[in-house]
Amino acid sequence: MRFLLLSHIQNAYQSLRNNRARSALTMLGVTIGVASMTAILALSGGASRIISNQIDSLGGNIVIVRPGTLMKSVDNITQPQPSRDYAASSITELDIKAIENTPHVKLVAPIMILRGTIRADSVAPLSSPILATTPELANISNLKVHDGQFLDDNIDQNTAVVGKQLSINIFGTETSIGRTFTIKGQPYVVVGVLERINNPINYNSIDFDNLAIINFSAGKKMNQNVAQIQQLNIKADAYTNLNQAAKAIDKTLAKNHGGEKDYSVLTGDQISQPTSQLFYTITGVTTAIATISLVIGGIGIMNIMLVTVAERTREIGIRKSLGASNNDISWQFLIESLGISICGGIAGYIVGYIVAFSVGEYLTFSPVFNWQIALSALAISIIMGTLFGLYPSLRAAHKDPIESLNRHN
Amino acid sequence: MRGLQKRFGIGDAENFVLNGIDLTIKKGEFIAIMGPSGCGKTTLLNIIGLLDRSFLGEYELDGRSVDTISKHKQARIRSKQIGFIFQDFNLVPRLNVVENVALPLVYKGVPRTKRLMIASDVLRSFHLNEREYYKPYQLSGGQVQRVAIARALVNEPSIILADEPTGSLDSRASHIIMEELSELHKRGNTIIMVTHNPNLTTYASRIISMLDGKIDTDTKPTIIRKPPVSKRHKKLNRRKKYVYKMKRKKK
Repeated sequence: MRFLLLSHIQNAYQSLRNNRARSALTMLGVTIGVASMTAILALSGGASRIISNQIDSLGGNIVIVRPGTLMKSVDNITQPQPSRDYAASSITELDIKAIENTPHVKLVAPIMILRGTIRADSVAPLSSPILATTPELANISNLKVHDGQFLDDNIDQNTAVVGKQLSINIFGTETSIGRTFTIKGQPYVVVGVLERINNPINYNSIDFDNLAIINFSAGKKMNQNVAQIQQLNIKADAYTNLNQAAKAIDKTLAKNHGGEKDYSVLTGDQISQPTSQLFYTITGVTTAIATISLVIGGIGIMNIMLVTVAERTREIGIRKSLGASNNDISWQFLIESLGISICGGIAGYIVGYIVAFSVGEYLTFSPVFNWQIALSALAISIIMGTLFGLYPSLRAAHKDPIESLNRHN
Repeated sequence: MRGLQKRFGIGDAENFVLNGIDLTIKKGEFIAIMGPSGCGKTTLLNIIGLLDRSFLGEYELDGRSVDTISKHKQARIRSKQIGFIFQDFNLVPRLNVVENVALPLVYKGVPRTKRLMIASDVLRSFHLNEREYYKPYQLSGGQVQRVAIARALVNEPSIILADEPTGSLDSRASHIIMEELSELHKRGNTIIMVTHNPNLTTYASRIISMLDGKIDTDTKPTIIRKPPVSKRHKKLNRRKKYVYKMKRKKK
């Protein structure tokens, strides 16, 4: 086999350069397709990584119990679960007690989110959540107090810890220790201000910069003495015992609930799943758009290659008469179409990241860089170039040399 | 090269462009093929050059029947043994002169720098080295013709097929080209040339004249001689003279 690859590449480069505008426009089709694909992959990767990173930063040592069962991801997209704020939770205080006594469990913290007006010097935005929990949460979710202290078991019922942003919103300052604010008319004294996390997307689905944390019993009182538990955060005694702990918790809960599976015990990646439900939906839709633009880009390549072949019929005849075999001719055109698609793909990869980063500016997470995205961008462009360049190049190769030579155009 | 015998039709069976040609060409011959337009000279050349495969009959090249050689192998033979000089030059318009000349070397697998150097050397022997980076359309007809010949010679083929190599040149330029071809002939190359110009056949060692897809005469001139006149032409001439005489008589 003669090594002609290099001269084919040189030839393709020359011919693409000669038709700069045409090549650029054809590449644009591929660029848009690959760019949207890269942006989607980078952003959705960033979104799911953010949550798994949080879990990893806790040593991965966390089990979460939520009411209701986890649906398959497909169902998540087609039948989005309504927010269950108004429904009675299937997890009760009894379950907390039972889980605390389960082997390998170190700490349990319930999460109960309430709605109500937070008022001090000014009224907090409506979206500011009120979280009723136990002091263990600080340890489990690794919450850091900027100023003052977190809740503890001995402290007065009417005390609260606030997020930094909330403190600014209602008091106009970050240092608000000892000041009083009201929730639903009930006064609370600030004992601590949380450090800024700046991370509203997390496995607790709470914006920790904007919330007021009150004692679990105080929260229950506010809710007509009903514990409306959205989630239980559980820490195992060691990372290696995590799965055992999860199994034990499952068993305990099954006993408590009379065998009914109206709860889910989640570890690792499962935790991030419902949170990234929205991303699944967005990813699905944009992937479809990306696929369509890739197909259209590919048809563009095929179209341009057919024009090129027709334009160079005579050249094909000349090349054949000078000793080019059918393979040489088909490689020549295939490499040209590969040149278009790979250049378009590389441009698309770059543009995709530019888009991803500029969109990321408005989001709370940044896109990920990994080799899988680069590889799939490259693979898609190579596949496109081959798939849509094959027919024109074979057509070129099978032209009759005499007829081609007699073609005057 | 020996045993060249063929008979074939193209298109529908009625229309034989070449109709029963038996021909043996020996290595090192300089053959001039003559004949009126449409008698199949170019077709014959294309078949000899392995460009045209759709023919009936037998064609042996170097003792091997062409039918038994694969398409790929035929391309290799074209690349290594055969040089084409076309009637209408057939340079690639988007490549410059030196790249055009280097084109056959691409398919021999010569690396780029080396093949451009070789091409440049060949162009120098044709006094075209100042025009190396011109595009074909920037050259005069004679220059284009010389580029086309340089391209045919660049891969040092043993067989050179020339289809009216001097078609668009004046007689002085034609003779320069013909000198070049006969020089190649002296070096032992086989040259098969199609021409309309009887003056140029003086360079050939063998003259074949064709008529209606058949070989009419096959002569080997020893001295410079007049263009060969076919029997049919003689007949036509006699008739013309006769008609002319009759007309004068009537007057």
